[in-house]
Amino acid sequence: MTDVAVPEAAPAPAAPTPPKRHTTRWVGLTVLVVTAGLIAVLATRQPATVSEVQSPLVGQPSPAVGGVTVNGSTFVLPRPPGKFVVVNFFASWCPPCQTEGPELVRFAFQHQQSGDAQMVSVVFEDTTSAARSYQAQLGATWPTLADTRGDLALSFGVRAPPSTFLIAPDGRVVAYLVSSVKAADLNRLIARAEADGA
Amino acid sequence: MRSRHFPLWTALGVVLVVALLVGSGVWSSSPPTNAQRAAAIEAVIRCPSCEDLSVAVSSAPTAVTVRATVRHLVDQGQSDQQVKDYLAARYGSTIVLDPAISGWSALVWVLPVVGGLVGAAVLVWVLVRRRRRGAGDLDADVRGVTVDPVVLEERRRFLAQSLADADAEYLAGDLSDADYLVLRQRDLARLDALGPATTTMVSGPAVAPTAVATATGTLTPDPTGSTGASATVSEPSTTPRRRGRNKWFLIGSIGCFVAALAVAVPLFSSSRLPGQTATGSVSLSPSQQLARSLDQAAAVENQGQLGQAAQLYQTVLTTHPDNEVALAQLGWLEYRIGRQGSSASLIGDARVKLSRAATLDPGDYAVHLYLGTVLMQLDGDASGAVDQFTRFLASEPPATVVAQAAPVLRQAYTAAGRPLPIGIPTA
Repeated sequence: MTDVAVPEAAPAPAAPTPPKRHTTRWVGLTVLVVTAGLIAVLATRQPATVSEVQSPLVGQPSPAVGGVTVNGSTFVLPRPPGKFVVVNFFASWCPPCQTEGPELVRFAFQHQQSGDAQMVSVVFEDTTSAARSYQAQLGATWPTLADTRGDLALSFGVRAPPSTFLIAPDGRVVAYLVSSVKAADLNRLIARAEADGA
Repeated sequence: MRSRHFPLWTALGVVLVVALLVGSGVWSSSPPTNAQRAAAIEAVIRCPSCEDLSVAVSSAPTAVTVRATVRHLVDQGQSDQQVKDYLAARYGSTIVLDPAISGWSALVWVLPVVGGLVGAAVLVWVLVRRRRRGAGDLDADVRGVTVDPVVLEERRRFLAQSLADADAEYLAGDLSDADYLVLRQRDLARLDALGPATTTMVSGPAVAPTAVATATGTLTPDPTGSTGASATVSEPSTTPRRRGRNKWFLIGSIGCFVAALAVAVPLFSSSRLPGQTATGSVSLSPSQQLARSLDQAAAVENQGQLGQAAQLYQTVLTTHPDNEVALAQLGWLEYRIGRQGSSASLIGDARVKLSRAATLDPGDYAVHLYLGTVLMQLDGDASGAVDQFTRFLASEPPATVVAQAAPVLRQAYTAAGRPLPIGIPTA
């Protein structure tokens, strides 16, 4: 077939009207639903200031707590301990640990007379000598386990310092907190555990 | 015909699948040793304090502890899953780098497969739809259903292009004579049925020479490139499956290949172990494995776990009986353990290993330090010790090692009445 020349002025016929797809409406609706879902999820979570996190250990019997302390003596926590025990993994080089240090001293002091709660510290990825002088400077009089091989850290599943576990008098782990804790946080968790029958 | 390429595709696919199967080590069925099993588990356990590394490649203290625990549990006879469960019960399921195929984590495995299948289905659907729509519209044109001049013009252009494509494929040998003729007749008939062009131009086939049929049914080139409806062959009752069959062969072979990959990769990749040949993963060369084993043993030794370190060095020696580093270190460990337990036989073994290591690599400073220390501490042979220590110092040991060895060096040189070499700190 030969080429057919066409006058350029040929009028273009009107294009057929495409069916309406309402794309904008659907996109808008999807964004709205996703945003609403996000708001709902975030609104029902605990605020980020609460550092309590999930751990498979919570609700389970606590791993054994014991070993050589930074002072060379031996400490073994009874099972069950018969009182609330706060197990705090720390390192002298970790700033959040330095922040929470005075709070832990306050907590220990608050419960010293009543004897209803006790502190145990565990060194995490730090030298025994550095941890010993750090605790002495802080005024920590409770047992500080050296955990040189990291066995305690493994049995508690600790990934980074500070990590704090609350053990109930019956020996169950009732809370796991990361980042700095306050004495008030610990007291609140103890009250909650008592209310739950611990 | 394009189908002549089909065996090539098939052969390529078969070769690739067989290579994958061979590479995945499916035919090597020797049971893994404990060390291999432990290494395989360590490769999929996340380092607790460094998140994005496995404990196998991390030197963080937590990773060292996890590695020691994994080896301990494996040696106790626990299964891979039991070891992973043990760690997951403490760190949570995220400690395992491979997400579990259950609950929400299963989505990680399922979504890519579903996405791939949906993508393939959409691709096939689009291809089929495009073919059917093209044919349907053309038939509608022939029946005169469409009268919109823009649409008609577009279809004229489409038919012209189709004719040009047919010419090109015929010249390339992708179309048989009969198919080419029939297609050409069909498109020309349809073009005629559309009526004369009005608003634009319809190009003839771009490729010359085209061919037209003669009355005898043979094809001759048409040097004019004309597409006039002068062909004498009547349109047969069936339309040839132009390009379609070849395309389906291609899609089918690719589909088979992808399916084989999809089955083979997860099936065989899950059981491979470090050291075995594998596809999709970096496997260590024998020398890398050796270096890694020695590093692990040294790490355990540095933790003070002498017995475990000795076992690891022993494992190295079973595969590399002449490895002087393992010999020297194991000899030294046996000496230390033997001395603690006053075991004469262990100390005897230690001497043999250290002497052999010194013979194998006289330039290794460590073995001379060990031998000198044994001679000094155990035999009180100061001159023999000094002889070894002189070789030790001649081998350019690191300053830290010299500093650590300084007490025993001073003791030996003093006892032998020899002047302390320069560089040894006095007490």
